[in-house]
Amino acid sequence: MSAIPTLALRAVSKSFGMTVALADMTLELFPGEVHAIVGENGAGKSTMIKIMTGIYQPSSGQVEIGGAPVVLSGSKAARLRGVAAIYQEPMVFPDLDVTENIFISATDAGLILDRRSMRRRAEALIDRIGMTLDVDREARGLTLAEQQAVEIARALSQDVRVLIMDEPTSSLSAHEAAELRRIARSLATAGVAVVYISHRLEEVFEIADRVTVIRDGRHISTRPVSEVTPQGMIADMVGRAVGNYFTKMPSAAQQEVVLSVRGLTRTGVFEDITFDLHRGEVLCMAGLIGARRTDVALSLFGVHPATAGELRYKGQAVRMTSPAQAIALGIAYVSEDRRKLGLAMPLPIRSNISLATLAQYLSPLGLIDRRRERDTAMAYRERLNIRAPDVDMAVGVLSGGNQQKVMLAKWLAMQPDLLIVDEPTRGIDVGAKAEVHDLIRAFVRGGGTALVISSDLPEVLALGDRILVMREGRQMGIIDSARATQEGIMAVATGQSEAA
Amino acid sequence: MIARLKSWEGFLLMSLVVIIGINAGLSPEFLTLGNQINLFQLSIEKIIVALVMTFIIINGEIDLSVGSMMGLSACAFGWMVKEQGVAAPAAIAISLGIGVLGGALNGWFITRVGLPSLVVTLATLIGFRGLARVLVEDRGLTDFPEWFDALGQQGLIGPLPFALVAFAVLFGVLYIVLERSGFGRKTQVIGTNREVAEFAGIDTNRHKMILFIASGTIAAFAGLLYAARVGAVRGDVANGFELDIITIVLLGGVSIFGGTGSLTGTLLAILIVLNIRNGMALLNITGHIQTGVIGLLLIASVMVPRLKFGTREKTA
Repeated sequence: MSAIPTLALRAVSKSFGMTVALADMTLELFPGEVHAIVGENGAGKSTMIKIMTGIYQPSSGQVEIGGAPVVLSGSKAARLRGVAAIYQEPMVFPDLDVTENIFISATDAGLILDRRSMRRRAEALIDRIGMTLDVDREARGLTLAEQQAVEIARALSQDVRVLIMDEPTSSLSAHEAAELRRIARSLATAGVAVVYISHRLEEVFEIADRVTVIRDGRHISTRPVSEVTPQGMIADMVGRAVGNYFTKMPSAAQQEVVLSVRGLTRTGVFEDITFDLHRGEVLCMAGLIGARRTDVALSLFGVHPATAGELRYKGQAVRMTSPAQAIALGIAYVSEDRRKLGLAMPLPIRSNISLATLAQYLSPLGLIDRRRERDTAMAYRERLNIRAPDVDMAVGVLSGGNQQKVMLAKWLAMQPDLLIVDEPTRGIDVGAKAEVHDLIRAFVRGGGTALVISSDLPEVLALGDRILVMREGRQMGIIDSARATQEGIMAVATGQSEAA
Repeated sequence: MIARLKSWEGFLLMSLVVIIGINAGLSPEFLTLGNQINLFQLSIEKIIVALVMTFIIINGEIDLSVGSMMGLSACAFGWMVKEQGVAAPAAIAISLGIGVLGGALNGWFITRVGLPSLVVTLATLIGFRGLARVLVEDRGLTDFPEWFDALGQQGLIGPLPFALVAFAVLFGVLYIVLERSGFGRKTQVIGTNREVAEFAGIDTNRHKMILFIASGTIAAFAGLLYAARVGAVRGDVANGFELDIITIVLLGGVSIFGGTGSLTGTLLAILIVLNIRNGMALLNITGHIQTGVIGLLLIASVMVPRLKFGTREKTA
């Protein structure tokens, strides 16, 4: 391994407003190595890639290429310096053929494209990565694996020195994934520094030379893969210090089954989900991105109805087909995506809190009782400790944690029987996290029932009475949280072991 | 948002005061009641439609077919009364019915088929106009019943004509609907973020259907007012009115992306446009230059920096 890294991050930090996405990150990539980067959802992997590819600028710290500090002012600047990335969803233009797609961003083409030499070079590139692909074919109809090959060829056409592969195999079949790993390996052999990001730990062990673990935006460890065990890597990924923050409370679960789910399936998305949810219980759903937990919730809330399976709600067989129906039955869904699905950001806090219960404020003429609306909003501001001087303020100007609480207030105001909460504490600070946890606990102690989707394992262990682990649309098992550990859940979620 | 609206509306109000001041200085005629009523009357059909257009645009949609619907309803009325021997009251009812149906047609394509309102109403802009021309071709139909013409041309309450009274009543009702009612709240929420509305159990398709039916109906009503005021119809009645109407609404501070806006803003924009045109007419400035000035104002309204929500980049 040569002494000068192809690309290095030196104490790079990146923050967005109050949120620190990367802190003091150091990473060295050497020619000829496959360097795996692993970490939980939200650990900062994407931010790191975006800094290496020039999409984000570091808030502090230095990016070095070939030992010299550089400023990557955009993805084009990064490409010119030999840094390219391919993603889970390849970017190809369906109406162009393979050759045109490979040379789509060619900067040396001049005014007149020499079609024949382009075609020859395209064939050579495809050949170099060991694929057989007709370069005159339209990209429409290429398989995902072939599209990724086109992307790799595009990177190679620009003399790539660092190739970042972000979850490249998560949508591929086992055979295609093996093929892609072979390509990655052969590129490294040819002297490219390959960055390989994957949730599939078995893959990391197969392909990587070195593994870097990051957590909460910080560098935890970088070691040769031969010195790492799966257990050690998972322990690094979940960390121990964070886990102690949340305290486990006794369960409030009662006998009555509020929601009974049997074999719930949405074709092509998730299948055969089966569980009972008792009054007073908190059931957590754990899993990695792509485990399809949110899709299950959206089916239960009627947004994307299930295609098969049975639902019984309070003993009655139901088919959920719309949010309005779910709301009428007393089911609330607090989305993980505040901005897109959760809040009307420019509107006042007051209007957001009353939104799901608007009918309760209407006079026979359809006019809103504004005093009552305001009183309710102020009551929830008090109860949820929402830090806002006035409930007439636009919700968009609040901090993430306070927005999260407004969103919870909207659904708690409905006084639901079943509260589905998706990533209740993503992107909010530790203090607000504890407050949100207390709210969910108070809700179930008051006779409510909660289904909590969370990628935050300490949270799952602290909140959940039981933990349903999903992986790639399948239910891997339900673990009693008294017997669960972060390592155990992660092992099930990554397919390393079966649930007990 | 509130700060922005206040500042934009404040700016409009200041502009209005200045324009009125200049106009009053230019001509002693300007502030007379007669001129003030006349100033409204010349554009009364457009400003009535602008009230409903405010809802449509706040809701995140657009209705380009209103001008053609005004034309269609006026022509259908003229054709029925003058060439088919239909009694005028029945013809009025049928013309309004055409407005309901036309709006429902727009709404159906937008909510059931899922096409963008820009495309759907561009198509019906052509379609409604085509129907109007088929009915009347290039004949000028005139000589309607006396009471009908009188409704458009004479005072109903003192010197105030029927259309102006209708405008005032409609403004009052719609103001309350937008600012105080559940329907108005839903209009704003859907325009701000349709998915948030749907996740809160709001039937957004039904809502949009109601709005487009209202838009078609009010446009048809405005077309009849035009026929009454001018006392004659032709196939090109109200041609291109949709652009003036949309200009007024945007000038009033309604966001073309939906969500924000108010009827107060629309009303101020109406008054500004009418007073600029009136003042310039008093100065014998041509219509083209008047249009240019209003265009500049519109650009200013779009350039007002918006308070941004969600500029923070997403992490991981």
